[in-house]
Amino acid sequence: MRLLVCRPQVPFVYGGAELVADELVRELRARGHEAETVAVPFKWYPGTRVLDQAFLWRLLDLEEADGRTVDRVIATKFPAYCVRHPSKVVWVLHQFRQAYDYDRTALGQFSESPVDRATIRAIERLDRVALGEARRVFATSRNVAARLERSVGIAAEVLPHPPQRLPYRAEEPEGYVLSVNRLDRAKRIDLLIEAARAEPGLRVVVVGEGPDRERLERLAAGLDGQVEFAGRVDADRLADLYARCLAVYYAPIDEDFGMVPYEAFLSQKPVVTTHDAGGPLEVVHDRRTGVVVAPEPRELARACAYLAAHVDEAKAWGAAGKAVAERVTWDACIDALLA
Amino acid sequence: MRVAYYSPLPPSRSGIADYSALLLPALAERVEEVVVVAPGARAPRADVACYHVGNDPGAHGWIVDALRRRPGVVVLHEFVLHHLVAGITLGRGDARGYLEAMERELGVAGRLLALGVADNLLPLPWETQPERFPLAGAVLDLAQAVIVHSAYVEERVRASGYAGPVHRIPHPAWPEAPVRPAPLAADPLVGCFGYLNASKRVPQLLEAFTLLRRRRPGARLLLVGASGERFDLERRLERLGIGGDALLREGYVAEERLWSLMAACDVLVNLRSPTMGETSGSVIRGLSLGKPMLVSDVGWFAELPDDVALKVPVDEYEVETIAAALELAADRAGELGAAARAYVRREHDLDRAADAYVAALEQAAGGEAVADAVLWRIAEAAAEVGIEDAGALALEARRAGIV
Repeated sequence: MRLLVCRPQVPFVYGGAELVADELVRELRARGHEAETVAVPFKWYPGTRVLDQAFLWRLLDLEEADGRTVDRVIATKFPAYCVRHPSKVVWVLHQFRQAYDYDRTALGQFSESPVDRATIRAIERLDRVALGEARRVFATSRNVAARLERSVGIAAEVLPHPPQRLPYRAEEPEGYVLSVNRLDRAKRIDLLIEAARAEPGLRVVVVGEGPDRERLERLAAGLDGQVEFAGRVDADRLADLYARCLAVYYAPIDEDFGMVPYEAFLSQKPVVTTHDAGGPLEVVHDRRTGVVVAPEPRELARACAYLAAHVDEAKAWGAAGKAVAERVTWDACIDALLA
Repeated sequence: MRVAYYSPLPPSRSGIADYSALLLPALAERVEEVVVVAPGARAPRADVACYHVGNDPGAHGWIVDALRRRPGVVVLHEFVLHHLVAGITLGRGDARGYLEAMERELGVAGRLLALGVADNLLPLPWETQPERFPLAGAVLDLAQAVIVHSAYVEERVRASGYAGPVHRIPHPAWPEAPVRPAPLAADPLVGCFGYLNASKRVPQLLEAFTLLRRRRPGARLLLVGASGERFDLERRLERLGIGGDALLREGYVAEERLWSLMAACDVLVNLRSPTMGETSGSVIRGLSLGKPMLVSDVGWFAELPDDVALKVPVDEYEVETIAAALELAADRAGELGAAARAYVRREHDLDRAADAYVAALEQAAGGEAVADAVLWRIAEAAAEVGIEDAGALALEARRAGIV
């Protein structure tokens, strides 16, 4: 088949969503399909600009390319799924959350002005049209599917995706807790740093870059080297950090899906998360594949200290997680997307 | 968002007043401010106005006057508004206004008919056959957006040519609370609540009740509400021999007593024909109590699921059907009641209704500015490369729900 995978691209930003789309293209090609990524730059502010950006997708003609039919488009997130195509499949990584669950929180962007409120309503209508016209709608987690159902009344099939390719392995834990995430407020890496403050024996390695780095570094100052910021690392280094850690911390606020727990599990490491983390809770089960606690530094500190004192349990939970992660395969994803 | 809210409210005795009393607190939780406007008060500063419109000119005439001064979101509680329109035109000596409303709906024939009415040459259509001349257009012309409660009214609004946004928001149900049933013994107790008149099919109900009573001598009929001005209820009851132990009669009752009486009933009856496109708060109350319900198979009532209400066709077998349905409902009370309660929880949730109101009001308050901003930028981009007519782009933006 000739397939186009559609995703937005915030210039200079490359994260989980971009990675999944690019992996999908690679996996499709590996199965003999002609596959290509279509990316359109995305800027979602100020005010009503987000609608212009959605409209850009609407204007694209992807029904054929160079005189040959495009059999299907697979769109991953807002506003890419606004694209028109008679055989459109949407694999929703997330909606434009500023218009939904982020609204009226610190993560929102819209004020109480009539124009801002009406912009949110326009995004809801757009989602209903764009997702409603799709041949099939998948969501990467039950959390994302539930949000879709709740916000725009669209029922999606749950289809999780495998994490990025890395040379996953497990080695003897060296005692540090690893955080792998973009450094922005919603990812709540500050909770882990505060946990380190509460538990002087806790060592933390923070992988990733993002707008919150400066604040996080200030927060970690004075912790006597307990927190190491590793920045962006390559695949080998990342796999190595996973392999040698005690556990992986992952607790964004109501995360859509969360690829990191799968990466941790493939490295046979337990995941430390919080009750309000959303998607990760679908695979991180307390004292079975990790630890789930309240989003409080002291609780996190206690959980990490417990794992450090009970390494055998940590290993067992990591191994149980591996079995969960191995059930999610590209074969299953591609079968569903092309059915 | 500040909302100017126009509606009759308790102690005014109407379904719409009760509706607003139920909705207002939930709405106020969701917006910056709801300013409830009193009759005769000056229009407050607001981002959007919400007008509740029903057919009673006494209760809603002032609301239409306010709507004329400032367009807003119209909540159409009934589609047939002939009585309202006549009241605020002919009733105020404005024959021209009535002529225009009739002409808008029926063309020249409407104008001629209106002339005959204005000159007292013809029977008053709002009393004889209002459903033939709904005159909703007179109000719809002023609406920025319309909120309706049923598919039936939505279809009629669209058929009348209204092109603006129409939001269908089910009538919300009252929050569930413990109700102590009034101590009324019967086998079964059949209840009919609300204004009692011919269009509520009370004559047919009374006849059907006499049939039921022959088969179920323990049956009792509870009639609650005022009877219509030109509807001689007492004479009908006497003629059919419904009295004594068979009849329980109460006039207008306060809220608490209403719930208590309703809870005591084994079967509730809420028939209607002709329908004016109304939704019945009484039906919603009864269903939320888990009571078996008989309704006419018309308008909004026909949209109730088959397992929730027994729907009686308005035809020559109506009386016999009502009698049979009363028995059936009494016998299957548990099953029907459970379905009714589940349906109300599912479809008539107050929070969902309030959320839908906020969505409709927000769209009305800022939607035009959003559309203008997006379309202006699209047109500007097109114009910069020499494409002056961006109409096709605008059309696509509208189709996609962007503007």
